[in-house]
Amino acid sequence: MSSEKTGNLFEKRLGRYQAAIGLQPVDRIPIATGSNYFAEVYSGNTKQQTLYDPQKWLEAEEAFVCDFPEIDVLRDNRIYGPLFDAIGCKTYRLPGRDLPPDIQFQFVEDEYMKEQDYDKLIENPLRFMIESFLPKILGEFADPCAPRSHIAFLKAGMAQMMMGQVMRNRTVVLEEKHGMPQPMAGFFLAPYDVLADSMRGFTATMTDMFRRPEKLTAACDVLVDEVCHLALATADPFKRWPIFVPTHKAMFLSPSQFDRFYWPSFKKTLEILIEAGHTVRAYLEGNWSAHLHRLLELPKGKILFDIDTRGDIVKAKEILGGHSCIAGGVQDSRLILGTPKEVRDHVRELCRTVGTGGGYILSAGCNFPYDTKPENFRAMIDAVLEFGVYDSSLSPKPRELSPGVQTVASLKPRRLVTAWDVKKAELGEIKGDEELIRRNWEQLEQMAHVWIWQWIL
Amino acid sequence: MNDLSLALKDLDEKRVYELVEKELAAGARAIDIIESCNAGMVAVGELFASGAYFISELIFSAEILKEVMKRIETLLQAAPSGAGKGKIVIGTVKGDIHDIGKNIAATLLRGSGFEIIDLGVDVGAEKFVEALEKSGAKVLGMSALLNFAYPEMKKVVDAVIAAGLRDKVRIIIGGAPVNEQVREFSGADYAAADAVAGVEFCKNVYG
Repeated sequence: MSSEKTGNLFEKRLGRYQAAIGLQPVDRIPIATGSNYFAEVYSGNTKQQTLYDPQKWLEAEEAFVCDFPEIDVLRDNRIYGPLFDAIGCKTYRLPGRDLPPDIQFQFVEDEYMKEQDYDKLIENPLRFMIESFLPKILGEFADPCAPRSHIAFLKAGMAQMMMGQVMRNRTVVLEEKHGMPQPMAGFFLAPYDVLADSMRGFTATMTDMFRRPEKLTAACDVLVDEVCHLALATADPFKRWPIFVPTHKAMFLSPSQFDRFYWPSFKKTLEILIEAGHTVRAYLEGNWSAHLHRLLELPKGKILFDIDTRGDIVKAKEILGGHSCIAGGVQDSRLILGTPKEVRDHVRELCRTVGTGGGYILSAGCNFPYDTKPENFRAMIDAVLEFGVYDSSLSPKPRELSPGVQTVASLKPRRLVTAWDVKKAELGEIKGDEELIRRNWEQLEQMAHVWIWQWIL
Repeated sequence: MNDLSLALKDLDEKRVYELVEKELAAGARAIDIIESCNAGMVAVGELFASGAYFISELIFSAEILKEVMKRIETLLQAAPSGAGKGKIVIGTVKGDIHDIGKNIAATLLRGSGFEIIDLGVDVGAEKFVEALEKSGAKVLGMSALLNFAYPEMKKVVDAVIAAGLRDKVRIIIGGAPVNEQVREFSGADYAAADAVAGVEFCKNVYG
């Protein structure tokens, strides 16, 4: 493909995706699944190869894009095996390492943080991470003073840089060679999920709501700034695509628990990110029907909500229609077990119901199932092209690029372990351009914080 | 229901422990305490089924019960017979290590008086069959969160057939990715939309 042609394709896809999220008119319903593990499976990789071999991963994506050029965005893998190995991350089982090569990675939940650790977390989150939490979940860091641990930290820092390079490279190749944008970049969790997923785990957090509700809410509050910094540091610097947040435990909460424990800190987090000029893609995992009305409190047209297979997309459209774009609708079981005819009828129905009036992106429930039959995927696309067209004369342009960081008054600056002022005092008189030294000093420390906070996911 | 049952039903944790101590001091047997707690747990299950309680209440009631059991453990001469309503074999299928859904179902079933043989997560077909043979349970419950589990569920049903147990065992599947289409594919008898529906099904089997 000529570079002009791929450039046009990129603009067309990105414009369509952004316009749908912003509730603007589009030519057709975008086919823009968030996580698409089917892409790598379709192309013949084992799941281990995708996590451990960036070249294989990219080749798989390229093959997929060539066979299904109608899709509007593509992202699948987010885990780089060598990084997890270097530091001995215990919160995941990985294919080929502790699972058969063809079984997808899985999260291992446990009570890594004890109830008596709440005060430490609330008092100084970073210190808690380094002294209490990371030694529990990172096997190579179990004895932080040992040489093995120091080497492991260096290795894992290097691995992080390698992963950054891999991600940049694939983004560039997909854009320049195939005109394919990303569905999202950067990530964070709702503060409640930070506790309920990786720190305290499900059962402990459930009982904390009864036994120590004040500690739980205080911890959620204190995590807002941390997850915001993580999200902003990992987001697309040009703000072209949304920042990703999967939500995990809201589905287990009663409406009053959601309102008290989950929503205040999550809402504040989302508001900060939107004020910073970003959009967000949120997976509403499980069934959010009892909580959807809360989302109307957020700014309009800034968040794309993925409705899970267990959710009710018709109800979601009723509540969120005209306020926020929703994605989803295609039942996982139809893609895996159904026939192309069933998929076609199913998609036609979706186009005619939830597709009406726009603000809708076609996808499966959050994670696109990787056992999808290729002929069903093809049938899904063809059905959108047949039934999901609004006005083919439209061709919305992408938003203007908006590089740079917008400061948000309600977000406190990151508390650095060694602030520049401290370092400067140690150095004494600066003989040249202080700004050059300061900028790099702070940037590296910011990167170190990202490394640390990524382990909440 | 006595005070202890009511306190458990209301999730009044402190009061539950106080009442347990009080009853023990007054000479109550461990088995009496268990009976009171069971009545409380049945009430919690009913509140959950009616929508008044949510999952967290269910989990918390199980946590309180666990503490009570820990307290009276040493007083128990022998494990309670668990005759109850009947036996159920339950587990998350091979390849999947998620247990939240399975544990919720198990808690609710125990609360309803069933004896649960919980095989844990990542359970292979042969292990399910072995547990069915050993226990004589009339219900097999399979759980999954990940949708690659569909073929594994079918494999378990096929293994039950191969072992000659299919006409003696009713098979129920549950979990986020499960629906009628998956039930048909796997050959199970019932796809539970939620844990309450699963309990109802088990009650009918043993009813």
